[in-house]
Amino acid sequence: MTVHSVSNWWANRPLATKGLVVVAVPLLIFLGSVAALYTISRLESRAEQDVRLTIAIQNDVNEVHAALAEASSGVRGYLLTGEPRFLEPYDRAEQLVPQVTQRLRTSIRDTEASVHLARIEALASQKREGLSLLVEARRRTGADVVSDPAITAGLAANKQVLDALRGEIEGMQERERELLAARQDRLDRVRFNGLVITGLLTVAGLVGSLFAVFLFSSGIVRRVRLLERDAVLLAQGEALEQREAGRDEIGLLAVRMIEASALLRAREQALREGEERFRLVIEGVRDYGIFALDPDGRVVSWNTGAQRIKGWTSEEILGRHFSTFYPGDDAHERSMRNLAEAVRYGRMEDEGWRIRKDGTLFWANVVITALRDEAGDLRGFSKVTRDITERRRAQEALEHARQEAEQASTAKSLFLSRMSHELRTPLNAILGFAQLLELDHSGRGKADAASIDQILRAGRHLLALIDEVLDIARIEAGKLGMEIVPVALGETIAEAVSLSLPEAESHGIAIRHDIGPVAPVAADRRRLLQVLLNLLSNAIKYNKPGGAVAITAQVSGQRVRVEVVDTGIGVDPGQAGDLFQPFTRLAAGAACTEGTGLGLSLSRALIEAMGGAIGYAPRADRRDGACFWFDLPLTAPSALPDPLPARTALPSRTAACPLTILVVEDNLANAQLIEAVAARQWPEARIVHAMQARLGLDLALRHSPDLVLLDLHLPDRDGAWVLRELRTSFPDLPVILLTADAIAAQSDWTSRGAVAVLTKPIDVPALLEAVEHALMERTS
Amino acid sequence: MTTPRKPQDARILAIDDEPANLALVEAVLKREGYRHFEALTDPRLAPERHLAFEPDLVLLDLMMPSIDGYALLDGLGRLTGEGDLVPIMVLTADTSVEAKRRALALGARDIVTKPFDVFEFALRVANLIELRMMFQRLGEHRPDVHGAGKPDLPT
Repeated sequence: MTVHSVSNWWANRPLATKGLVVVAVPLLIFLGSVAALYTISRLESRAEQDVRLTIAIQNDVNEVHAALAEASSGVRGYLLTGEPRFLEPYDRAEQLVPQVTQRLRTSIRDTEASVHLARIEALASQKREGLSLLVEARRRTGADVVSDPAITAGLAANKQVLDALRGEIEGMQERERELLAARQDRLDRVRFNGLVITGLLTVAGLVGSLFAVFLFSSGIVRRVRLLERDAVLLAQGEALEQREAGRDEIGLLAVRMIEASALLRAREQALREGEERFRLVIEGVRDYGIFALDPDGRVVSWNTGAQRIKGWTSEEILGRHFSTFYPGDDAHERSMRNLAEAVRYGRMEDEGWRIRKDGTLFWANVVITALRDEAGDLRGFSKVTRDITERRRAQEALEHARQEAEQASTAKSLFLSRMSHELRTPLNAILGFAQLLELDHSGRGKADAASIDQILRAGRHLLALIDEVLDIARIEAGKLGMEIVPVALGETIAEAVSLSLPEAESHGIAIRHDIGPVAPVAADRRRLLQVLLNLLSNAIKYNKPGGAVAITAQVSGQRVRVEVVDTGIGVDPGQAGDLFQPFTRLAAGAACTEGTGLGLSLSRALIEAMGGAIGYAPRADRRDGACFWFDLPLTAPSALPDPLPARTALPSRTAACPLTILVVEDNLANAQLIEAVAARQWPEARIVHAMQARLGLDLALRHSPDLVLLDLHLPDRDGAWVLRELRTSFPDLPVILLTADAIAAQSDWTSRGAVAVLTKPIDVPALLEAVEHALMERTS
Repeated sequence: MTTPRKPQDARILAIDDEPANLALVEAVLKREGYRHFEALTDPRLAPERHLAFEPDLVLLDLMMPSIDGYALLDGLGRLTGEGDLVPIMVLTADTSVEAKRRALALGARDIVTKPFDVFEFALRVANLIELRMMFQRLGEHRPDVHGAGKPDLPT
């Protein structure tokens, strides 16, 4: 194992293990030291005890010897004197020696000493017996002891025993001295060893502590410091270097921090890229001026589009107040008003003149959006500006063109109206006086009567011609004022037939018609009747005497075809193509027929204006005669008037005070529609109708209506004028505007006093809703 | 108090800028026996003449250069006092439905388009005169009707 791998191994241990090791190493060393010291002190105390024991044994042995010697002396004294007081040491020895020997027996463990002790005991008892024999002898014999041989022998034997005892005691003393020396030696050794071991343990403890400190430092402290440095770097957003970190908790933490740092940098990078991209996009936009304002309205960012539109570079404009872009003296007030509006509503949109750096004006569409942070505090504004000068000019040109077209159209209708008047007025006198002459021609000659008849004929012809020419001109000018409604075809044909009957009878022509139930056609009833009369008239006029005319109608898909077939001479196929041209009168030369020559072309114009088609075909049965047909669209179910919603009661109207609605509308169809709707919906309401602006105002003053429906396009003055006038006279009168002009409908009419704007064609439910809403509002 | 007036006593005021037409109207009315006729070619004088002449019937052309016929129609209608009825017949060369409706909406009692059939015209005039007479007779029996106390027209 190399040092590196060891340190690796150590680094990979979990922190708990490391802590255990760091704490355990000094603890174990400490416990070892305590055990060693305890052992040493035990050894030392045992050695001391041994020494003390040896000394005690020596003392005891000496005491036995001394006691016996004194006893011996005492016995001799007794022997000599017979005085009992000399026996005192003997008695004491008799008591003491067994005690001491007993004590010695228990304390001596040395074998050699024990042998000596056994001998000493034997000798001691031998001595005591000798003495006791002497004492007995003395008592028996009395004072003459010297002569007693037993005593003498006893004394000698006692002396020998005492000498032997002395020798034994000395041997034993010798042995004990040896033992003492050996024990003293051992004690010294033990003490020395104790000192050495204590020193070694101290060193080991020191080293162990240092080692633990090293382990702690290398395994934890140093790495925690590195971690702390990493944390500081992380906090500063700087990159962390990759390094070997170990697999313990600190290592894992370091790895996580490195990962976090990488993630942070990746996100930062993405964010920077996103911001950069966004900035490039915003800055690159050329058609929109996009810039930011601080909460006070000073410009804080600028883009290419803004520079292109307004002429300022970002260096010039940053920090300046955006009222710079507003022309006029009240630029600052207006700009701040716009900001205030953006603050109040979050967003404001405005169109108006703005000024460029070079002082030129442009028509701008501006959107200001208030920018708020998450707490809702205002952080500034974004402003998007578009230069729509071109569009405005185009709109103005368009409006101008529209007005011109309207004027041209008005001029045309005026011309038609004048023409009609100018041509009819003299005819009135011509025909009128001719009629009077005809009445009073008695007394004049036949020639006069014929002349008058000629005048009347020519005048009536001229009148028919004028009517038809004007009709055609009106159709071409789109001024005919068709009222396309569902028309019952069968009834209309029956009416045409009945009107044509006198003429047919005068020519001896029979008219046959058999029209089954047919869905209503979408047509103008009067004009349809006109076409039918014209076709019938032709079929009668160009028929042969006693001929017949047949009218049929057949549904085919979404259309119905009406055919008028006669039994006349028919039409030359080569001339059929010219039939509908004006003033084409094919058979005029042959038969004596009246006609303007405009009937068929007028019929065609009328039918086409009603969305139909008209034509000529040879008779299907190839017999003589002509077949004129026309197609008209059937009323589509969806084109039928929608079923109206249930009638609703209008508020607070009584019979005494009926609801009055003023309709100012020059289009009769629309006025009739409104009247029809009102009649069904509010039968108690009174509808007052004016076709002109001034008249509308007059009627408003006269009738004080509850509601006004006002067309924006009126022949004399426009609806906006009427609206203004109405506002001044009736500030609370609700006005609903009607217009066919979808662009005009989008203008801000409510600020000019209208409650609603409806576009034509009028949607009936929308009309009802607007009317009722307006009246409810008014009531409340 | 008053002898019943005959229709021929009715006072007829005709307003038209075209003298030929006025002449025709006069010829027709004379032929029908009407004796009190006044023709006016300048419509601006119409209100004044109306007040002075006190007509029983007004014949009014709607298309005149100097004045808006509809406005005149409306104005003449207002000259007639509350509760009174002086019928106005509109004579016009404008054959459009719109013109007819407008004229009738503004108070015209009848409308005849030019050129007119003289018989029809005469009959319509007679109708309106009859209406006027009936209204006046009604007024004689109902004193509250304004105009009932008018003196007889000079004959």
